[in-house]
Amino acid sequence: MVDMQVIESLKQLKQINIDYYLAAHGARQNGKFVAYVNAFTPVELLYAMDFIPIYPENHAVILGARKLSSETAAAAEGMGYSMDLCSYARCDLGSIRIGVSPTWGLPKPDILVISNSQCSTLTKWFEVLARMYKAPMALLDVPHSGNGERDAAAEEYVHGQLEDLVVMLERITKKSLDTRKLRETIELSQEASSLWTRILETGQAIPAPMSVFDQFISMAPIVAQRGTKVPVDFYRSLLEELEQRIENEVGAVPSERYRLFWDNLPIWPELRRLSLFLAERGVCLVTSLYTWAWARLSVGTENPFKDWTEQYLYTANLHLQRRIDDYVELAQRYSLDGFLYHSNRSCKFVSQDIPEVKAAVTKRTGLPGLILEADHNDPRLYSVEALENQIDNFLDLLASRNKGIAAS
Amino acid sequence: MNDKRPWEPFEKIVSEKWRRSREYKERTGCVAVGHLLPDVPEELIHAVGGLPVALWGAGVELSHAQAHIPSYTCSHAMGALELGFREELDFLDAAIIPYVCDTTRNLFHIWQQCFPSMKNEFLRLPKRLDYPGARVYLRREYERLFAFLKTLTGSDAGVDELSRSIALFNKGRGLLRRAYGKLREDPSAWTQSKVMHLFESWFLTPKEEHIAMMEKLPWDSKAAAESDERIRLYVRGKVWDPPAILALLDELKFVLAGDEVVTGYRVAAVDASLEQDPFDALAERFMRTPAYPGYHFDPERMRESFLERVVQSGAQGVLFLNPKFCEAAGFDTPDFQKALEEKGIPSIVLETSTRGVSLEQLRVRLEAFREMMSEDLP
Repeated sequence: MVDMQVIESLKQLKQINIDYYLAAHGARQNGKFVAYVNAFTPVELLYAMDFIPIYPENHAVILGARKLSSETAAAAEGMGYSMDLCSYARCDLGSIRIGVSPTWGLPKPDILVISNSQCSTLTKWFEVLARMYKAPMALLDVPHSGNGERDAAAEEYVHGQLEDLVVMLERITKKSLDTRKLRETIELSQEASSLWTRILETGQAIPAPMSVFDQFISMAPIVAQRGTKVPVDFYRSLLEELEQRIENEVGAVPSERYRLFWDNLPIWPELRRLSLFLAERGVCLVTSLYTWAWARLSVGTENPFKDWTEQYLYTANLHLQRRIDDYVELAQRYSLDGFLYHSNRSCKFVSQDIPEVKAAVTKRTGLPGLILEADHNDPRLYSVEALENQIDNFLDLLASRNKGIAAS
Repeated sequence: MNDKRPWEPFEKIVSEKWRRSREYKERTGCVAVGHLLPDVPEELIHAVGGLPVALWGAGVELSHAQAHIPSYTCSHAMGALELGFREELDFLDAAIIPYVCDTTRNLFHIWQQCFPSMKNEFLRLPKRLDYPGARVYLRREYERLFAFLKTLTGSDAGVDELSRSIALFNKGRGLLRRAYGKLREDPSAWTQSKVMHLFESWFLTPKEEHIAMMEKLPWDSKAAAESDERIRLYVRGKVWDPPAILALLDELKFVLAGDEVVTGYRVAAVDASLEQDPFDALAERFMRTPAYPGYHFDPERMRESFLERVVQSGAQGVLFLNPKFCEAAGFDTPDFQKALEEKGIPSIVLETSTRGVSLEQLRVRLEAFREMMSEDLP
């Protein structure tokens, strides 16, 4: 087996996650409230108003990583949910049904806050949860801005919804928004985002000190606890260690031969297996669309509502042409040899345009790409052996391509 | 005076799909604007002198599209993309794709990539139907689309032209509603297949011609006595996919008590008011039309209002005609079924697709459903 030098800071994550879920379960005893949220919701605002944001998606990830997704997804199918629906949703709903959960389930929400600039599936999933828990739901409806052009009407629409969200939250807490607290949470969020960005940029070093697999597992604090001190402390120690590794030329993969990009969400149930499989072949996944998404979420303290509006409408609202441009830029910055595109059956939002992205990126960079059809959480929807075979064939292609380049 | 074969033109239009629109364009030189169903207001296209041509992919055999969009995409979207690669749609000058779900959002970008020479536009529909700001936003979005359409035709149309288009469309919708009523009054003559041909051909024919054709229908027909009792069915779904499902419902003696299919009653359910500013009237019509599953309002109210619509229709059972891979429809179904069950209304879910679904399998399941319902009926 390949000898990979462990990143010591990552050992903190277990306790960070335990503390987070314990705090969520104890929210009411501590005068706090629980909000179910998704990406691209203003978590800094929620923390400032004494809400603990909880991500049902993260709950599903934990079920997947602990190999509990087949059981829980099947339970949801027994409730009538089609196997073609998002496996995160199926795992979460099935987990509620059969009471299987490594986080002792999730605490009942006081409100569900959702933004559809991430995807529309989450809106439907949250509607089911809102009916189940008889809790209010606030949808931040973010019209998709076509090709990214500015849209004044949409800006007013989104801004108005954010202001109304504050009123809704104040009704639950019976307290007014404390702008001083909001400023504090935003400053902590900015710091965490900045550290996370620098962590992702360490992947430009050759060899890369950290692979995308490790980025995936260290994402939890920037996702769920942005606006608190937890991610700031964690990412500061992680960054320090990564910089040390760069200085000592310690790579995530012992003998780095190929540097690849990973598109889309991970295949959570196979994280460890694919990580070892690639490391044995000298392949390091050095950067990814998914982990970068969390580096672009900080807002300013001057006019955060305007910044959130801009961010949800224009930054989070990914469109094909910008995605292609981003990948082309990353290819150069990260000295990539190729792209692995996860065509994710459970995430149609990020997957349906992959054939067009791959064709355009290869045309512009000359770099080959491989589309792997799988699923982010349901191992019944793919064969990991078949994926490994496809990757081996792709690596053969890269090897012959490199030989050709060397010969010319 | 009715024509001898008044249904024939509608059947022909549906079987030939886009041919009539193509011929009209060749004849008149008008600007033809394709739009993916649902919810692009055709009145805006008509008011600027364009020809609205609806696109939907049910029943389309796939070939080229599979190289551009993954197989786990609903056949409505995949089929529409496939059409773009065929000569059938090369008469279109522009295409409008509405934002109703993640798939149509992605389809817009893929469409642009595949057909860059066509003038493409994205209609950014709001999803939050119970939020006052959504109506304000939608009105402005319609104005934006109207401005785009005027650049296509060179028209200087304004609110007067739009009001005239709305009046014409209301007239057509009135006739469609009347036909839907005949379906229940006289189901052996006004079969589901025939009436739904009226609805589908509405999207494929210049409206003035369609209204003139509808006026020739045998509106004064009297219901013939029927030997078998029909079972009143309410259908929730996207499009009639596979298209042969309608003939199957006729054959198995089901009659539509109501439906929410985007090529079904939903087309005609609500008129736009002529008393309001026309942009406001169109926005109001959108908000009052039974919500497409991708739209949002209070989740509890979504379930209750669905139940109310079913009960009001007098349906004895509900068919969920869920397109395979449609997340919007799939998430609602279990809760809605449970609500129906609590009211003692039986339901069935058919997950359908043009690809890989056997009509015979659907027949067996619907026959069993009918049998089960017949036993329960008093």
